[in-house]
Amino acid sequence: MEFQSRSTPDALEVRLAGRLEFTDHDRLRDIIDALEGAKPRRFVLDLSTLEFIDSAGLGMLLILQEEAEQRNVKMIVSGPQGDVKRSIDLAKIGEIVTIEP
Amino acid sequence: MDTIPSPLRPFCVMRDRIPADMTARVAARFDVSGFDAVDDGSAAAWAEALLVERADRDRLREAFHRNPFLTVELGEGGDEPAALMEDWSGAPAVEPGFYLSLTTGTAYGLQCAVLVCDELTRRGALTAEHRPNVEMCLHEAIANAIVHGNLGISSAAKNQPDGYRVFGQMLRDRLGDPDIKRRRIDIFCRWNASTIAVAVVDQGSGFDSATTASATDGKARSGRGFVFMRALASRVAVTDGGRCTVLHFDV
Repeated sequence: MEFQSRSTPDALEVRLAGRLEFTDHDRLRDIIDALEGAKPRRFVLDLSTLEFIDSAGLGMLLILQEEAEQRNVKMIVSGPQGDVKRSIDLAKIGEIVTIEP
Repeated sequence: MDTIPSPLRPFCVMRDRIPADMTARVAARFDVSGFDAVDDGSAAAWAEALLVERADRDRLREAFHRNPFLTVELGEGGDEPAALMEDWSGAPAVEPGFYLSLTTGTAYGLQCAVLVCDELTRRGALTAEHRPNVEMCLHEAIANAIVHGNLGISSAAKNQPDGYRVFGQMLRDRLGDPDIKRRRIDIFCRWNASTIAVAVVDQGSGFDSATTASATDGKARSGRGFVFMRALASRVAVTDGGRCTVLHFDV
């Protein structure tokens, strides 16, 4: 998985690309470090260019949500497509995490 | 590369010569008595092969394109006869089917499920319609076999403060251990007109399959792999004390 981050006046936007899977725990650490450094009000996780997510990757979304909550930051997952959206729906992640089309 | 459609030559040729004792072990292990040697001037042509040293995606694709039944990656150190003595769940050679044996160090990060689904598609067993389900389930079974099986890391590691850092460090530590890294992941595929069956076998300590979650458990950071497999596969069986997961897909 690769990611790019961009800060706006009130938000940190992180766009993920490729595959988010069980081999990506170190990348998760990098994203959390970016969240820690930016101290935003909102944290937007853009999944529109993510192609695949596995159960470990879904667990990472929940870890990111917890990390954001601990910092009083609102996390929003945006734009999941195709197989990624299907997996998010199957695991009912939308009941826990705010997801925007 | 041209493919070689020959059911009488189930093993892939990747090396010039295979030691005679290894040939004998392969013959005993995989019951290849029904396969005749190909008359190309070499002895025991069916066994000349199967061995890929330090497999990567391109070398494995090259091996698959020779239509082998069995493709085995050698471990580090050139211990070729030993590699074939290891307990990789010997099975009779069946057609149609194929068997891939990789070390954990190679399987990690190789996206094996993509590779295997590409090969199932190339051999005409898997259609685009069924591929997403098969690939997802296979990915989850392989991830479990690598992380919880051969690397011996429990998901409980994630359920603590900074758990993902601990988990990431454990992955790096275990993958740095040569003895752990060379443990095998075996993937055995067979199919007929109505079903694809894939077995994923590891060399870990196993687990009690009755403890796997049957439904998504809210905020839990782990345990969804089996939920996915049970939702998307037609049948899921766990055998060998948790070391073998067999996925069946009605197609």
